[in-house]
This record gives sequence, C-alpha cells and structure tokens, in this order.
Amino acid sequence: MYVRLFAAIWLLLCAFLAVIAWGFQAPFAYDPVGPRAYPLLLLVLMAAGAAWLIFKPGPHTEALSRQALQRAGLCILTLLAYALLFEPLGFVLSTALATFVLGLLFTGRVLPCLISGALMGVLLYALFDYALDVPLPLGVFEALVES
Amino acid sequence: METLHFLMQGFDVATRPTNLLVALFGAFVGTIVGLLPGLGPINGVALLLPLAFALGLPPETALILLAAVYLGCEYGGRISAILLNVPGDAAAVMTTLDGYPLARQGKAGIALSLSAVSSFTGSMIATCGVVLFAPILAKWAVAFGPAEYFVLMIFAIACLGGMVGDKPVKTLLSALIGLALATVGVDSTTGVYRFTFDSVSLSDGIQFVIVVIGFFSVSEILLMLENTHNGQKAVKASGRVLFNFKEYCFTFWTMIRSSVAGFIIGVLPGAGATIASAMTYMTEKRLAGDSGKFGDGDLRGVAAPESANNASACGSLIPMLTLGVPGSGTTAVMIGALTLYNITPGPLLFEQQPDVVWGLIASLFIGNIILLVMNIPLVGLFSRMLSVPNWVLVPAITVISMVGVYAVHSTTFDLVLMIALGVFGYILRKLDFPLSAVILGFVLGEMMEDNLRRALSISAGDLGILWGSPITLVLWALVALMLALPGIRWMRRRKQVKAQADASAA
Repeated sequence: MYVRLFAAIWLLLCAFLAVIAWGFQAPFAYDPVGPRAYPLLLLVLMAAGAAWLIFKPGPHTEALSRQALQRAGLCILTLLAYALLFEPLGFVLSTALATFVLGLLFTGRVLPCLISGALMGVLLYALFDYALDVPLPLGVFEALVES
Repeated sequence: METLHFLMQGFDVATRPTNLLVALFGAFVGTIVGLLPGLGPINGVALLLPLAFALGLPPETALILLAAVYLGCEYGGRISAILLNVPGDAAAVMTTLDGYPLARQGKAGIALSLSAVSSFTGSMIATCGVVLFAPILAKWAVAFGPAEYFVLMIFAIACLGGMVGDKPVKTLLSALIGLALATVGVDSTTGVYRFTFDSVSLSDGIQFVIVVIGFFSVSEILLMLENTHNGQKAVKASGRVLFNFKEYCFTFWTMIRSSVAGFIIGVLPGAGATIASAMTYMTEKRLAGDSGKFGDGDLRGVAAPESANNASACGSLIPMLTLGVPGSGTTAVMIGALTLYNITPGPLLFEQQPDVVWGLIASLFIGNIILLVMNIPLVGLFSRMLSVPNWVLVPAITVISMVGVYAVHSTTFDLVLMIALGVFGYILRKLDFPLSAVILGFVLGEMMEDNLRRALSISAGDLGILWGSPITLVLWALVALMLALPGIRWMRRRKQVKAQADASAA
C-alpha cells in the first residue's frame, strides 16, 4: 500500500519535473545532445519504474505504529531545530541542547542526558575547533570572546 | 617485475609515519563503527570523509584512512554478530548463524579469533588479487572510449538490479533516483541551470558529502529510534581465547575457497560483501553435507562468510581503481572522496597518480596486519563498546554528521538539505528501496551524462556509436543477461512451486 502511494507521488513528481526539464535549452548548441535530453530520459525511466510499482508493489511493507511515527516526527523536528539554531546559537549551546533532547528521545534519563549534553557541547567544540581545525560558529559566545 | 617495483614504491608511501598513524586510527575507528549494530562501512566512511577533507590530508592519506575504515568495518561486524547475535553490518548477517551458537557453547574466544584470521586470509588473498589483476585491467581499460564507459556504467547499474535479486524494479528505481539527483545544478557543457529552483546554494549541484551523510547517517538515526535499547548484554567471551591448530586445519580450505569466491564477487560491479558472504556460506553448507553442524555452531560457518566479505571488500577496489566504476556502496563513497580532490579514478590513475594507487594497495597489506594484531587481544575492549547506550551514541553521531556537513560550505542551507535527504532516505528504507543503489547512481550520474554526451559529440549525434565497437556489444550482452536474471529466477521459482503443487495433488 505504502509502496503504491510512494510510486504514485513519484510519478506525479516526475511529470512535474519533466515540465520544468522541458524548458532547459541552451542558447547555443554546444553538443548534439543538449542539456535537456538526459534528464528527460531519466524522468521517463523513473516514471516507468514508478508505474510498474503501482501495479506490482511487491511484498507487503509493515505499517508504522502511531507511536513510532510520533517519535520519528519529534526526532526530525529536533534535528531541524538543531540545524536552524546551529549558527545563531553557536555550536556549543545548540549541540548541548540537541544532545539533551535526542538523549531523552532515545530513552535516556534526565540527569545523565544533561551531563552528556554539556560535555559533548564543550568537548566536541574543543576537539573540532582546536585539535582538528574545523571552524565552527561561536554564536552567542562571540561577544564573550571578543570582549 | 614492473608491478613489484610499483608495489615497493607503494610501501614507501604507506610506511610514512603519518600514513601509518592514519591507518592505525582508521583501523581502530573502523572496527568500532563496524561492530556497532546499524552502522556499517558506508556510515564510517561517510562520517570520516568530510573530516579528512577539512583536515587537509593529502589524497593518498585520505584514501588510506577510508580504506582502513572500510576494512576495519568488515572486521568489526563479526564481533557483535558472534557475541550479540546482531550483525554489526549487513555483511555479517551470515556470521550470526553459527557465530552466536558457538558463543553460547562457550567457544566465543575460538569463534572470534578464528573469524579474525578468516578475515585476514580473505583480505590478504584479495589484496594479492588486486596487485595481480588491477594493472592488467587498467591496461585494457585504456582502450575504453566514452561510448564504452557509458555502456559500462549501465552494466554496473544493471548488475545491481540483477544481483540484488528479489526487488529488481525497486533497485533500478533507486539507482535512477541517484542519477537524477546528480543532474541538479549547472550543466557543465552548456551552463544551463537545471532543477535549481533559483537557489544559489543548489547552483553547483548537491554536494556529495551532504547526500552521503543525509542518506546514511540521518536516516540511520531515525531507524535506530525504533529499537531503543540501553546497551546490550553480550555473551561473556569465556574459555579458550585462541583456536588450536586442529581447528585451523579444519577450516583452512573453507577460508581459501571463500576468499577466492568473495574476491570474484567483489570485483563484479554492484555485487557487494553481503552477497559474497551469503553465497559462500550456502556453498560451504552444501559441500559439508550431513557432516556439518551448520546453524548450531560450525566453525566453517564462521570462517566462510568472514573471509568472503573481507575478500569482496578488497576486490571491489579493482573496478573502482581501474575503471572508476564503484563495486559497492562504500567504494562509491570513496570515488566521491577522490573527486573532492579533483582526482578522477580510472585507468589513467595508474599512470598519473601511482603514489595514490600503490600507496593505497600497500596500505591494505599493512592495515590488514594492524587489524589482525589489534583484533585478537583487544576483543575485550571492543566488545565493551557494545554496551555504550544509544542515548550517548546517537547524539554523538548527529553532532559529527552536522559538523561534517557544515565543514563543506558553512551554510545552514546545507544542514537543512541534509536532514531533508535523510528523511527521504528513511522513507525509501522503510519501503525497502536499497540506498546503496541511490549512492551508486549519484556517483555515476555526472560521469554517465558526460560520457554519453561526449560519445554523441564524437559521432555527431549518431546513436550507433553506443553499440558500434566489440567492447560495447559484449557489455550490452552482459547488461541483457543481468536484466534477465531476476526474470529467470522468477520463472524457476514458479516452476518449482508448480511442481510441488502437482506432487501434492498427485
């Protein structure tokens, strides 16, 4: 069922992308193929594959329980929040927060998660920024460092 | 003779102190990543790749690091398979069948040490195979023009569909999704923007690192949500720590046979370690007949898959180095790593960058010895890693992924794109689409289009060039065979079912 749904959405997406791809035209012909043919070829093949899956979705895939979906949703939201706060809050704070929340999601207890969050924020910053030379955003700590 | 000279030169590169250190580190990290359930070689390579790049390691050092991680993962997967009955990576599934029963019988030490030696035998035989065959293949491959390359890549993708077996359409669709993702960005020949939706961040395409980490780390995190355990109780490794001479002799020929078979399967593009270990296990079981105790703790059942998966891991380096076509998901990532360094893998690599190629091959020998030496005494330490709870492990993976992606461009857009790809990858995985096919497609994508267009430029648009030479014709025949395989298997199964139905009716 889910495979069918996915295939149907994919088929629609292919059609939509094909419309866009139709517009790819080079002002000058540099080569006999041009920028349009190859993406269109792929889209046609993908559409064919998706159509096949609509008719023959293969063995039944298990449905996710409501609870599992909720947890997956929460996890995705946490990750998104982490990504969006990465620069404004800076690495140390955002990492500590994300580590804490993810730890709770993965059935950790509150206090150990708090400790691991704080440790990871500080230690990984030191590891990456100083030892491995990967520049990371300081965020809210920037003012502290400059003053 | 010439090969020997180059090999010595390779050892020169591989024994430089930094490279030795990197190999040691890679082997250690690889073993840990390999033994953690859920994390396989692709995850290990994907997590370390951006770091290697950000650190500014020279290409040969970066490649040595990745190869050490790759080999280490194949070593590590067996530890959790034997002690926990949970395969550390997909290729170790077969090892659980006999490894866990052995551990329950108090023979964990024997199984672990014997499988370490099997892994070592497999890698060694396969590395010798690489030394012997890679230069020959590279010489042949020079005769490949763009048309031949294009068909070869189609063959690689068809192999994937034909060998993976039970879901050819899903596999091919996955590969197509990968190919399509690679078309995003500015078209290199004409400068036309494709599928960028007017976003500046997408104009030079989706970065390879983002795709790999999104698909493999982020989707893995979501997948791990479903089995939240707080560390697992491993079977205590008790009894003898080392196998004895009799047990070694008992499994000797199994190791040799499985290594050779694993190597051959590994060389085929698309067919990876998982298939190699499954096939050799089945063969050994059949060869042993009634005398074997397969399934209840036969030492051969541990030796066969372990030597095969390591052999195929090394074997899959051959198509990567000589043709630039990956033999497995992990080598696909390594090709991506090379392109980050502006090195295009292919037949010319042997002439232009002998340091990189031979350094890598020599480092396989060294890495193998390091891994064997490390694995037998340190098994206790590694198995303790299994008790690290997920609420520490998952955040750590998340942070490393974020840093890895951030290191490429330092933009929030990339982080969000990574998560979006991760969610997409998670959906694909839940629906049973193989992700390694997506990554293979993504790596091949640009090369495939370039070669197709170059070929058609040569022939001024005449499609005949695609089947004009003997090489292309042979490759097309192989493609047809690979695409027909699932069909043949399906027909056979139907016949069997029918015969059974007839027999029961009569």
